[in-house]
Amino acid sequence: MDKLGQEWVSAAVDGEVDEHTLAELAADADSHEQWRDYHLIGDAMRGELPKTMSLDLSASIMAAIEQEPAMLPPQPVVEVVEDINEPVVKKTSNVIPLFKQFGQYAIAASVALVAVIGVQNYNQETLVESSPLPVLNTRPLIGSASPVSLQTGAVQQNQSYTNDQVADQRRRINAYIQDHMLQQRLNNGVNIDDNSEVDTTPVAQ
Amino acid sequence: MRLILLAILAMSFPAIAREDMPAKAWLENMSQALREQEFKISLIQLQADHIRPLVYIHGKVNDEEVAFLEHLNGPPKNAVRVGNTVTFIEHDQPAYSVHSSRIQGVIPAALADDVSKLEQGYQFVLGGRSRIAGRPGQLVRIIPTDTNRYGYQVWLDMDTYLPLRFDMISVDKQLLEQLLVVELIVLDEVPAILKEAYKQEWPAVMSQSDRDSGEDWQFSWLPAGFKVLIKDQHRLIGSKEAVEYIAISDGLANISVYVAKAGEAPLPEELVTRNGLSLATERVGNAEVVAVGKVPAETLSRIAKSIMLQ
Repeated sequence: MDKLGQEWVSAAVDGEVDEHTLAELAADADSHEQWRDYHLIGDAMRGELPKTMSLDLSASIMAAIEQEPAMLPPQPVVEVVEDINEPVVKKTSNVIPLFKQFGQYAIAASVALVAVIGVQNYNQETLVESSPLPVLNTRPLIGSASPVSLQTGAVQQNQSYTNDQVADQRRRINAYIQDHMLQQRLNNGVNIDDNSEVDTTPVAQ
Repeated sequence: MRLILLAILAMSFPAIAREDMPAKAWLENMSQALREQEFKISLIQLQADHIRPLVYIHGKVNDEEVAFLEHLNGPPKNAVRVGNTVTFIEHDQPAYSVHSSRIQGVIPAALADDVSKLEQGYQFVLGGRSRIAGRPGQLVRIIPTDTNRYGYQVWLDMDTYLPLRFDMISVDKQLLEQLLVVELIVLDEVPAILKEAYKQEWPAVMSQSDRDSGEDWQFSWLPAGFKVLIKDQHRLIGSKEAVEYIAISDGLANISVYVAKAGEAPLPEELVTRNGLSLATERVGNAEVVAVGKVPAETLSRIAKSIMLQ
């Protein structure tokens, strides 16, 4: 649709054309989409849109469903179905026809479906990995930084310092960290403006 | 039965308002819930290679908050809070009490405090919903406004607003520490253990009088929202080394800065542990400035460099 045509439809939407032109518009199927869009834009600008608005996905979804072959292809669209064992294939293929059949509902219920597919994936992972210690799987993956015993600095400088110095270094780092932890307990009071003499306090973890 | 129906009815009305509640309101409700509700939560604390199961019970006796925290694994390690006094009962030392408004070390004290104090350093953003500990949870992200501190995520129970999960996340979005509630029980009445704790005589709060006021240290740079809480002089536990001490905090992240005589072997310039605790050292002449805290090591390094004597 060219620019001129658009202006013409726009004028028709605003009611600035005569009945004859309107009849012409009614005959011109190509302009119908434009007509609807301009009304939609107008409604939006006047704030008259309904709270929930169907964006008319239904037609395209229906078309998509019609184009879909009646039988599902052996390789479903969801990528998770590759290289897995049989019981899982069955499970996943249960999900896909559901998705196709209820195309319209799929939009509203997309969150729920994501959850279902997510659970399927999860099950599959555990099947594949079949870890003997499922509890450990729940642990967060945390990068392999230095251990809490704080050896990094010391190890790096091992060559240039004696064992005594390394031990001293480690002891001092631990002292600082312990003191920091203890201070968290002490500093947390409301409106504390002073602090205790820490060498009299018991050692906190 | 009728009571339960009434309770459900009462809860369904706020549920409508909940739909468009801003993130800050969620946090404010959580803060209130942590202070006022009576509940028992079983939770696990995940740190790099540690998993600690804990139980936390909170209630009110004679209008005073009473709370009890127990470590379930390993040697007994408990903490009891009555009003503003927290007593730590640990296996390797006599019990001692400190003046504190929360039991430090599990649920961050800031979450039960005025959340608007955090607004200088963090933004609150509402996230999605998920099920935690069998309950519907609402995610609230506490996003740092700069890269000088870590971010946090908290999932709140949609009925009680109590926290169900609390994550600490590094600047590159790695999980550093997690608190995960496995069971939340809302109590109808104060449990016996809290009534006992309220009646019990606890050690007197440690004397806060005999401290030496520190030098007038100033910082030429601190990340937005960080404030100096305390300055003093004390001796490090363990090494007995005399240090000048400054505590700074933005509400969630606490940093300790020490100024001491430099040791024989220099400390590493930057050091990061896997649970996010970092340490940075800056040597000035024969003194060293050490900053420790759960913030990125670069932040600590910059803070250590920016300290000066007024």
